[in-house]
Amino acid sequence: MMIKKIVCLVGLIPLLAGVCTARAWQATDQERARERAKEVVPFVKEYQDDCQISRRICLMDAGVSLDDVKEVYFLLDSPIIKEREDHYEPVRFAHKRHAALVNDCSKCHHFRPRDENALETTRCSACHQDSFNPDHPERIGLKAAYHQQCMECHQQEAKGPVDCTGCHLKHVPDHKELVKLPDNPDPIQVTKACLECHDTQGEDMLKTAHWLWRGPSPYTTGHRKDILHGKGTTALNNF
Amino acid sequence: MHITRRNFFRFMGAAGASVAVRPPSVHAWQSQAPPDPFGCLVDLTRCVGCRKCEEACAKVNDLPEPERVNCQCTIFEKDRRPDDTSYTVINRYYTGTVDVFDKPVPTYAKVQCMHCQDPACVSACIVGALTKDDTGAVHYDVSKCIGCRYCMVACPFEIPAYEYYDPITPRVMKCTFCQERISKKGGLPGCAGICPTEALTFGRRQTLLGVARKRLKENPGSYIQHIYGEKEVGGTSWMYLSSVPFEEVNLPLLPDTPSPKLSETIQHSLFSYLWSPVLLFGVLGACMARFNRGNDQKQNNADKGGA
Repeated sequence: MMIKKIVCLVGLIPLLAGVCTARAWQATDQERARERAKEVVPFVKEYQDDCQISRRICLMDAGVSLDDVKEVYFLLDSPIIKEREDHYEPVRFAHKRHAALVNDCSKCHHFRPRDENALETTRCSACHQDSFNPDHPERIGLKAAYHQQCMECHQQEAKGPVDCTGCHLKHVPDHKELVKLPDNPDPIQVTKACLECHDTQGEDMLKTAHWLWRGPSPYTTGHRKDILHGKGTTALNNF
Repeated sequence: MHITRRNFFRFMGAAGASVAVRPPSVHAWQSQAPPDPFGCLVDLTRCVGCRKCEEACAKVNDLPEPERVNCQCTIFEKDRRPDDTSYTVINRYYTGTVDVFDKPVPTYAKVQCMHCQDPACVSACIVGALTKDDTGAVHYDVSKCIGCRYCMVACPFEIPAYEYYDPITPRVMKCTFCQERISKKGGLPGCAGICPTEALTFGRRQTLLGVARKRLKENPGSYIQHIYGEKEVGGTSWMYLSSVPFEEVNLPLLPDTPSPKLSETIQHSLFSYLWSPVLLFGVLGACMARFNRGNDQKQNNADKGGA
């Protein structure tokens, strides 16, 4: 009996080892950000209604600088949003990089809690939680706060993504399983395979300037002097 | 029975008097709006045209997936309307404003049933298939509908659509305000729940009016100082805020009087105590009696002449 058990356990060792090594390596800050994203902090009911300039002065007086940014990297993956719907992978947000680029904390930390003892800067999710809270009808939810804050600034600064997939990674299936191509496929075969599913995108492409362009292309290497050069005319893969 | 001229006038006098002394409540039109309905505030300055609301609407209402749901490249080139396959659509309008880079700024406008406080469709429906319920939703009951499509003609926003392709069991199709979902505590309409920027704010209509007024007051330059739907056609459950004139984003200029007010006043005053049919048939009867008398005299004269 004993020997059997030992044999069994010995047999399990390589298996367990295999399981351990199979687990993908995770960056420590990624793990930390993931843990932090799961936290839900108590709701801040009362806030100090300052204008942005006085808020900025307040932050400057408090001596908040780039060195005070403790959390460098966030994953925006709050259970407050996921409770209602969960369609996307977490959004990665480089907090310190944004702080350094914007150089004005009051852009995002636009109000502070009315509580005197509270920190000068607070998490988004402290004030913005569930949408359409009847007790605070003017307060937008966390999802809307993220979208309005990020997109508005990205638009104003003409920097950073403003489309959905710029921030959100979708669950894209592995196309190795979906598409069967011959060995060494030629470009026509590849495009055909794409168009089998993405035919609407193919049609849309035919209406874009990328396809319809009928003019000079001074920035295309090797075709600088071509007068008529567009994907629909002279390019090699125009099918 | 022989009606003499005197009898006829006597009868008509009595009928006229009964009309004149009828209680005034028949005349005064009363709003049937629910006391504390839900509503939705659409803020066009916040809408980014992602069309997630269309997708969510189709999903929760078992409708076919909207056209090109993940691709916004060409869909906005045509002006779309809600139809029998979609309860809501987003349209894009260029109204002439440009941003700091001289790029034209688009305004996206959602179209769906406005769920009027006093809906014209409910008033026009002759079988009571459409009702305004306490949640604020204009509810459609397919089992009562006879397919007359009066609702489609009556709607000032031209919203109800009809399943013309189905000859046996066609339905009138329009936004349901996700009535079942919002009746539950904490339930949201599909579109408002998914909206990433809270361009759609869901709540009690009175609360939303407060929110809207606050937004107009705090951002005076960003909005046209008007809440579309607060008073239009007597008020609607869906209300709009915009930075561009409402007519330019296909929200029609409408009077503040509820659509059914005039039609129902006319109808109710014409048919109260059946005085108008009585008058009509009285006049017809009198004409007939007179005509017959003339005929009789002619007949008599003819008889005399023949004799």
